[in-house]
Amino acid sequence: MSEADTTGDRACVSCGISVTGTNAARFKCPECGNVIFRCAKCRKQSNLYECPDCGFRGP
Amino acid sequence: MSESENDDTEPAEEDVADEVADSEAAAESASSDEAETEQADEAEEESRFDENVMPEGEEEADLLIPVEDYLSAGVHIGTQQKTKDMERFIHRVRDDGLYVLDVSRTDGRIRTAAEFLSNYDPEQVLVTSSRQYGRFPAEKFADAIGARARTGRFIPGTLTNPKYDGYIEPDVVVVTDPIGDAQAVKEAITVGIPVIAMCDSNNAVSNVDLVIPTNNKGRRALSVVYWLLANETLDRRGAEPSYALEDFEAGL
Repeated sequence: MSEADTTGDRACVSCGISVTGTNAARFKCPECGNVIFRCAKCRKQSNLYECPDCGFRGP
Repeated sequence: MSESENDDTEPAEEDVADEVADSEAAAESASSDEAETEQADEAEEESRFDENVMPEGEEEADLLIPVEDYLSAGVHIGTQQKTKDMERFIHRVRDDGLYVLDVSRTDGRIRTAAEFLSNYDPEQVLVTSSRQYGRFPAEKFADAIGARARTGRFIPGTLTNPKYDGYIEPDVVVVTDPIGDAQAVKEAITVGIPVIAMCDSNNAVSNVDLVIPTNNKGRRALSVVYWLLANETLDRRGAEPSYALEDFEAGL
């Protein structure tokens, strides 16, 4: 994720922590296109995420 | 890829072939004996690919291809091990201990992944496969949608070392197997791009952002999944899918 993406109010969709630094991911929801942030820890621990808009559950 | 991984695919494919042969033989023997009409009826009901691979109530008509095609390719065949991550994609366990993946969820995730990939510039999609049986379909898939492919050994630094000649900066990575393509997943995490992975029942989905549950060890299964993914991606971009399944099948 670029530095610009890591600034501002961007919360992990799984745990709610403010996403900063590397290893986090920013992508559009595969179903509805809503932007989703996942922090490095939730990615590594394969925590489930749910799109707040459409309810899509991943990974 | 080691030969032992290839060997893993053989029993699963043989199992499918054996089941087909058994059901056909059962149908023939039953129809020849009128006294055993009940058995014949049962044998007819048990068509070639009647295996229970999705929850009751799921509409077969909603699938991208007939369920028989999924079954004949062995897309639903899992392994004898399972991970907690993949439990939600597993439908049942067979008598021989193989876990059976829910085909309806595989189908749905192929659509979802296609929708996801269609949001990206084709050249910014990277497809990787270190697994032998996945190389040809992965390259064909990349060719079909205009993506880039890295098959065989994934050179460390491909995504992270700007001094490397083959350095690229994709926006999304599609991996055939998170275990075999661990280096690609690792580098994708480092640069912070999403990872789509084809996961079998024994895969952990750590560092994966979108799972496509499928048999990622079988030659035909990988061909079918990559073919469907390519066609769906092209379809969602508004292009005309012009590829047949045979185009994605590698030789033995």
